[in-house]
Amino acid sequence: MRSTRNVVKPDQDSGLGYYSDPPLLVLASLASGPKHGHAMTEDIVGLCGTRLGPGTLYGAIAKLEQQGWIEPLPPEDRRQPYRITLEGLRVLRSKLATLRQFAKAGLKRLEAV
Amino acid sequence: MNRRLAHLLIYLYPHRWRDRYGEEFETVLHEHRGGVGATFDIIRGALKEHVLSSSQLSSHGRTFGALALKPSALIPVAMSLAALSVVLGHIAMYGVAREADEGAAAHIWQLLMAGQVPVLLFFAIKWLPQAPRPTLYVLVIQVGAVLASMAPVFFFNL
Repeated sequence: MRSTRNVVKPDQDSGLGYYSDPPLLVLASLASGPKHGHAMTEDIVGLCGTRLGPGTLYGAIAKLEQQGWIEPLPPEDRRQPYRITLEGLRVLRSKLATLRQFAKAGLKRLEAV
Repeated sequence: MNRRLAHLLIYLYPHRWRDRYGEEFETVLHEHRGGVGATFDIIRGALKEHVLSSSQLSSHGRTFGALALKPSALIPVAMSLAALSVVLGHIAMYGVAREADEGAAAHIWQLLMAGQVPVLLFFAIKWLPQAPRPTLYVLVIQVGAVLASMAPVFFFNL
């Protein structure tokens, strides 16, 4: 869970390249299976190099749970795992499709420069 | 993160939020490496939750802030302030000498003061049974505005 093998390394010197949409990052993290808070943080670092602060992470978790896009599982020890709901998966798919379209169009424009 | 600091930081969050997420959040904080950035992130998160919870309460229209923004709360205050402006404007232009006949300023002042009474009553009748305390606070402001607009009239014996 703490492996950094696949960590994306954005342009750390300039601070560019980080992606930060906490709810979307949490949904993307849970798409690979249920996780508790700390595991989500580490997984998101591996996904895109962004390390969410605990306040930001739990702000996103609370919002997503309220929207019904994630749900809590029975606690393990004192840790609370969450899983993505079917509605959450649908939302994630839709948001990622929009992002893909946006990235494709943006990169195409850059090619022309 | 230091256990004591984590415990203190959680108390920055609203009571309801702590009841739901407090225990698991504390576990996450214990596992987090901490630092100034994390502390600021938690403080920012707590402020955000306070804003969210107060706006959720406001959406039910029962808080002081929500009630104070109702037209029936704002109109009487605006009318009192307009009446006060009329009196002060009159004093600035013509001094504090009492006129034999009631002039336009006096009539406008009377209309503004009398006209707000039904609005004020409507506000009190509608909201006092539903949210007594915040309604009383708004009524105190409305009465304060009325007294402020009446003060120069009685003080200068206009």
